[in-house]
Amino acid sequence: MSLIEIDNLSVTFRAKGREVQAVQGVSLTVGEKESFGLVGESGSGKSTILRAICGLAPVSGGTIRIGGKVIPSPRGRDFSRRVQMVFQDPYASLHPRHTIDRTLSEPLAIHGIGNSDARVMQVLEDVGLPTSFRFRYPHQLSGGQRQRVAIARALMLNPQILLLDEPTSALDASVQAEVLNLLNRLRAEHGLTFLMVSHDLAVIDHMCDRVLVMQHGRAVEELSREALAAAQMKTAYARSLFDASADRLLGPTPEPVK
Amino acid sequence: MTLLDVQNLRVTFDTETGPVQAVRGVSFSLGRERLGIVGESGSGKTMTGRAVLRLIRPPGRIEADRMVFDGQDLMKASDREMRALRGQRIGMVMQDPKYSLNPVMSVGQQLTEGLRLRDRIGRAAAHAKAVAALEAVQIRDPERVMAAYPHELSGGMGQRVMIAMMLIPEPDLLIADEPTSALDVTVQAEVLSILDGLVRDRGMGLIFISHDLRLVSRFCDRVLVMYKGRIVEEVQAGNLLAARHPYTQGLLNCLPRIGGPRAPLPGLDRSGAWAQDNGGTR
Repeated sequence: MSLIEIDNLSVTFRAKGREVQAVQGVSLTVGEKESFGLVGESGSGKSTILRAICGLAPVSGGTIRIGGKVIPSPRGRDFSRRVQMVFQDPYASLHPRHTIDRTLSEPLAIHGIGNSDARVMQVLEDVGLPTSFRFRYPHQLSGGQRQRVAIARALMLNPQILLLDEPTSALDASVQAEVLNLLNRLRAEHGLTFLMVSHDLAVIDHMCDRVLVMQHGRAVEELSREALAAAQMKTAYARSLFDASADRLLGPTPEPVK
Repeated sequence: MTLLDVQNLRVTFDTETGPVQAVRGVSFSLGRERLGIVGESGSGKTMTGRAVLRLIRPPGRIEADRMVFDGQDLMKASDREMRALRGQRIGMVMQDPKYSLNPVMSVGQQLTEGLRLRDRIGRAAAHAKAVAALEAVQIRDPERVMAAYPHELSGGMGQRVMIAMMLIPEPDLLIADEPTSALDVTVQAEVLSILDGLVRDRGMGLIFISHDLRLVSRFCDRVLVMYKGRIVEEVQAGNLLAARHPYTQGLLNCLPRIGGPRAPLPGLDRSGAWAQDNGGTR
């Protein structure tokens, strides 16, 4: 059975008396412990789907089910125990005047979970940050370190599902590699399910088993990882996205290094 | 013909903990070609671009053995002479349209401001020139964009407005600092082909600063790879895969590839002797 089932989801924003349909009738399912990617240009509605799952965007139609049950509105505590989100910009998503310790222990306080000292130390170790960072402020960390803190915060409640909104697009290539490796390791260790948004097909390909290509708020084409690697896309848009991917310029893919 | 010649450029910031050198002895020369500068954050690539225009404020200091643009010594030029160069002869496209456009001026006002004040062109003529510049960067509805404010434009549109703005005075050299990092891959390709056409048609020199090695190699003739304020390697863009330096190779290998192996991506190995040299700073 699928863990996340999104059926015919529509999101409509109202601005200046005008309606903007950001997502129009998108359906997708993500299995347990699967990693699913959403890809498309900006304004295609890929991030809006993640925000709609979290209750941060106005759903105007369709249903979202997690574990077979329609998720309640407002989302409530059980939801946040199960689903956590990592945002795009690590410079904007951490409270600038809270120490890392306070940022990380806040979810525990809200949910009335004790033993926060040990949990904070444990999660810092999990994401590969030295425990001496515990009482630092975000401005004392680099972009990659901040994104590790954001991932650590998402892990505090031991969720089952992580929603990742362009988690590495603000990072340097070498730091991106470290964060992607970290996410893959955490997925294996904690048995997590990923729903990940990116505009970079190569990143999605590295991380995800299946990918949904979106354009103008609609689903264009769903591809398996094999179909993507073999360039077997059926729609013109998915192909243009594939062709524009900078990765294509370096010539043939090297053989896996043993 | 050499358009810009830079020898031993250094940018130093005096801080409470002593001087920090952001750029440590960079030398390059540029003809009417496309030169890429690549490096991670903090490698000094942006500072190199800004130093050419002497856009670094105190306490930052610019020093160079030689920095000559088209026969004019940039190190000795007065502030007035520098102002005459900036925009007119050397243009610069900044990184982020969100922060680099004036939020309370319409696009049209911003595009025509220079023409009206500096070139003393009439309102109608300036408007026509600005519309033509927007058309040159493939904006489909230039009249609507002229009346719009920056927050009403998408990132791609804003970036194209900034490029249009820099191209109105027809500079001989354009310094583009991550002009496409805020854009989607499809729009990115469009903006690059616009820049490419301009370099070819107008014979402009271009310094293209980016952190994306793959992008730069597609688009430029030569690539300088920077690390900690130094140029570690210069490669012909076509031969990027033959790059020798461990840092360049590391930057290439840490990128995921479509259809590549699922094994953990190799991190950057900074244990080599090339990474240890701090040049006596800090």
